[in-house]
Amino acid sequence: MKIEFCKVIPKPLAEILHNEQSLWGSNVIFESGKKILLNAASGKGKTTFVHTLMGLRSDFSGEIIIDGKNSKSLNTDDWVRLRQSKIASVYQDLQLFPHLTVEENFKIKAELTGSFNSNSALDNLDYLGLADKWNQRCGLLSMGQQQRVAIIRSLMQPFEVLVMDEPFSHLDQTNTELCIKLINDRCDELKAGFILTTLDARKDLVFDYEVKL
Amino acid sequence: MIKTLLFNHQEKRQLVIAFIGSLLGVSFLITSIHYLSKINDYGKESEILGKNTLIIQKKVTSASSFNLTKTDFSPNEISKMKLEPFISDVKPVVSNNFRVWFETNDPYVPTFKSDVFIQAVSKEFLDVKSNNWHWKEGEKFVPMIMPRDFLVMLNTFMNASGIPQVSDELAMKLKFRLRISDGLKEEWVDTRIIGFTNEISSILVPENFMDYATRKYANGNPGKITQIMVAGKEGQFGKLEKYMNDHGLESKNAQVIVSRLKSIVGTLFGVILVISIVTVVASGLVLIQYMQLLLSHNKYEVRTLLRIGMHPDKISRTFFFYFIRVFGAVLVIGFTVFGLLKYFVDEMFQTGGIYLSKSISIYAFAAILLTFIIFALSSFRTAKKEVFSLFNK
Repeated sequence: MKIEFCKVIPKPLAEILHNEQSLWGSNVIFESGKKILLNAASGKGKTTFVHTLMGLRSDFSGEIIIDGKNSKSLNTDDWVRLRQSKIASVYQDLQLFPHLTVEENFKIKAELTGSFNSNSALDNLDYLGLADKWNQRCGLLSMGQQQRVAIIRSLMQPFEVLVMDEPFSHLDQTNTELCIKLINDRCDELKAGFILTTLDARKDLVFDYEVKL
Repeated sequence: MIKTLLFNHQEKRQLVIAFIGSLLGVSFLITSIHYLSKINDYGKESEILGKNTLIIQKKVTSASSFNLTKTDFSPNEISKMKLEPFISDVKPVVSNNFRVWFETNDPYVPTFKSDVFIQAVSKEFLDVKSNNWHWKEGEKFVPMIMPRDFLVMLNTFMNASGIPQVSDELAMKLKFRLRISDGLKEEWVDTRIIGFTNEISSILVPENFMDYATRKYANGNPGKITQIMVAGKEGQFGKLEKYMNDHGLESKNAQVIVSRLKSIVGTLFGVILVISIVTVVASGLVLIQYMQLLLSHNKYEVRTLLRIGMHPDKISRTFFFYFIRVFGAVLVIGFTVFGLLKYFVDEMFQTGGIYLSKSISIYAFAAILLTFIIFALSSFRTAKKEVFSLFNK
C-alpha cells in the first residue's frame, strides 16, 4: 500500500512556518511495509496527520494519494474498505467503548472482519498483563490499560499499515517494550508497516525511517 | 453486540411516553376510520339514491290546495339552488304525464291490475348496481325499481287470493307489463323488477323510456316538475336541512332522519379522525425525535464505530429496525385495542337499533399500512441522515 502526501497543509496549521524537512507542504511517500516514526513536538500536527490520513478531516490544501487515488475522491465504501482491511489505527483518545467489557470491545471490532479469535485475543491480553480484565468494563480501566486494549484491538484486523497516535503515552518502559514486540510480530506476520507518532525520539523502537512534522 | 452498545444504556422514559401517545393515536385512528366507513355504508343495501341525495318537494299547504301558491319548481328556482355552496347538483324528477296501468303477466300468479304513477330520475343520482338499468326502443323489457310498499300491497293481494306470497327474489323473476295511453291510443310493454327501494314512493323507470312514452303519449305536454333530486355536499347536511326549512321544502321523513344520523355520527367520527391524525403525527414525530436524541446520546459510539470501520448503512439500519419494531408493536397493540373498542361500540350501536356489518373496514387496514409506510420512510431517512452526518468526522 502506497500513501503519498503532496504539499498537504491543514488549514489550522497554514499560518505556522514549517521547516524544509516538515511533512507539511512537502511531497512525502509512506512506502509499503515500512516502519516509520513521525516524531514531533506538541502542536506540530501529529493528531491532525492521523485524522487527515484516516479521512476524518478534509480541511487541507494539497493532495493525499492512497494507492493512486486522491483521498478526497474516495467514497463511503472506499473508506470503509480501507478501515476494515488496509489501515488499522490506534487513536490518541483510544476510541474504546467505555460501557462495554474488554471482550465486547474486541467482538465489535471482530464483527467487521469476521476475524475474532477469542483465544488469540486472550493470549495477547495475557501477554500484556491484562488477562484478568477480560470481563471488565473498559471505562473502569486505567489509561495505560486502555491503551494496551486499544493496541490489541487494532491488531485483530487485517491491515497493510498500522497508524498509531502516541500509543505508549501512558505506558511504563516494560509495557511499552511488550507492546512494541506485539506490534512488530503482527506487522511481520502480515508483511505490513506502521506509522507511529511520538513526542520524543524512541530508542526502544526499531524503525526504517523517520518523518518530521 | 452493536445493539447492546447503542440501546442498553438509553433513558427510556421519553420512549415510553412516545409509545403510549402513538398507541392512543393509532387506536383511535383505526377506530374512527373504521366507523366513518361503516357509517358511510350504513343502509346502502336498501338505497338506490346516490350518496347524500334527497328527493324534495314543496310542502303542501292550505294555500297551495286552493292554487294560491305553486307546488311545482320553476327552472329559475332550480338554477338558484344549484348555486348554493352546500349543494353539488340538482335535477328534476320527471313524472308521467300520460296514463299508466300496471298488471301481472305471468301464468303462475293471478291477474293483478292497478293504475300507477311512474317517475324517472337522472342516472347520475342513482346507485343501481344492476347492469339491466337501461332501455332503448325495441328492447323487450323495461326495467323497473319498485317501492317496497308496492310489494307489500302485492303480497296482501296474493294472500287474499289464497296463493303464497312472493319474496324479493321471486318478484324479480315474475313477468309484469305496463299499459301506457293518451286516451286515444295505447301500448303494452313488458317489464321486469330489478330492485326495490324504501326511498321513493313511485315506480322508477329509465329516463329513455320516460322520454319515449312522453313523446308518444303526453301530447307534447312536458308536465310540471313537482319533485327534484338534490345532492348535498359531504358533511353539510345541516345546511341543506336549514335551507329546506327556510324555503318551505320537505323530504321523506325516514330519508331525512337517516341522512341526519349519518351526518351527525360521521361528523363526530370525522372530529375523532382529525384528533387521531394529529395525535399519530405528533407521537410519530416524538418517536423520530427520540431517535435523533438516541443518536445524539450515542454520538461518540456511532463515530467510533465508523472510525474502526463499520459501514454507516449498517448503523443506520440498526436504528431503523429498532424503531420499526417499536412502531410495529404500537400498530399490533393499537389494532388489538381497536378490536376491544369495536366490540363495545358495536354493542352500543346495536342497542340503539343500528346494525353495522361486523367485518373490519378495508380502510382501517389501509390506514395501518399507510401509517406504517410513512413512519418507516421518515425513520429510515432520519437514521441515514444522522449517521452519515457523523461519517468522516
